[in-house]
Amino acid sequence: MFIQMKNKNKRAQDKKQAFSLHSKRAQEEMIGFALIIVIVAVILLVFIGFSLTRESDRVESYEVESFIQAVMQHTSDCRDNLERLPVQNLILKCRSNEICIDNRNTCDVLKETLEEIMSESWKIGDTPVIGYNLSIIMENQQVMSINAGNKTNNFKGSLQKLPHDIEVLLNVYY
Amino acid sequence: MIIVYANYGNNMRKIRTKAQMKIQQMAFMLMAVTLFFILVGMFALVWRFSGLKSSAVELEERNAMLLVTKLANSPEFSCGNSFGGTKINCIDADKVINLKVNINDYIGFWGKGVSNIKVETVYPINERIDCTLKNYPDCSVIDLFEKGIQGTATWNFVSICRKATDEMGVYDRCDLGKLYVYTNEEQE
Repeated sequence: MFIQMKNKNKRAQDKKQAFSLHSKRAQEEMIGFALIIVIVAVILLVFIGFSLTRESDRVESYEVESFIQAVMQHTSDCRDNLERLPVQNLILKCRSNEICIDNRNTCDVLKETLEEIMSESWKIGDTPVIGYNLSIIMENQQVMSINAGNKTNNFKGSLQKLPHDIEVLLNVYY
Repeated sequence: MIIVYANYGNNMRKIRTKAQMKIQQMAFMLMAVTLFFILVGMFALVWRFSGLKSSAVELEERNAMLLVTKLANSPEFSCGNSFGGTKINCIDADKVINLKVNINDYIGFWGKGVSNIKVETVYPINERIDCTLKNYPDCSVIDLFEKGIQGTATWNFVSICRKATDEMGVYDRCDLGKLYVYTNEEQE
């Protein structure tokens, strides 16, 4: 009788131990699953954050392209011996540091003209435009820059190449 | 003689509880996996549609620019070779002012959808004065049909050129401007 009771107690203890082990394993599984969910959520959040804050590529804009073309054809009030210089020729004259017939520096006239054109064409505040940046690059060096407003990741731009390795780059920020 | 007591009822209850827990675990897992895929799907859809929207806007802008560019480079507007070589997106203002005078001959010429065409000088800054034969070129806007804003406006930057005179004689003068084309879908 005593042996029977002892056996019964031992079995009960074994079962209790086994149940405790099972319960522990289930808890571990749940923690593991929760951990996986957390890791996946963190990866997703990082991915979303990265995609929202990454620097956007310049979008080629027909509007900006047409604008640069029209500006290059604009007749400035700087005259050489032959004619009133269009902006494109004024850039070339500025490159060789020439002066207008009225002794003004071509680079000064160019900067003044471009500043006026930009402020009249891309009015900040009245339109969705919140900033712009016009750069003139000669032989991979920026020689003139006209900025206004703020820069954002949402912008349209265009690059116009001129003879003698000159580039005119305009970005308009929205 | 050894008597063994077996309590099957208790064991069965434990097995049932364990099975229920497993089912609950599976249900929870299935729900979580489904939710996860729904979230991923929604994210992918939003990503895809945002791309579509930007391409649609880009396409719309491109079409509008093409319409205006096509018009600017048509013989009725373009500079041709009058201002030292071929220029693109260049409008001969002298041609346009004469076109305005004879505009009755051009009704329906650009299709019924085009309700108005306007050429406006942006720089140098002038007071906004509508052009007529009397005040040209001391004006800034050539409104071809004189209908003002009608329908949807599409515009592009153009170069507005004309022959001008100063103390040195006649010279080619090009200003920065905008060409507006107003289209009215109801008229098409």
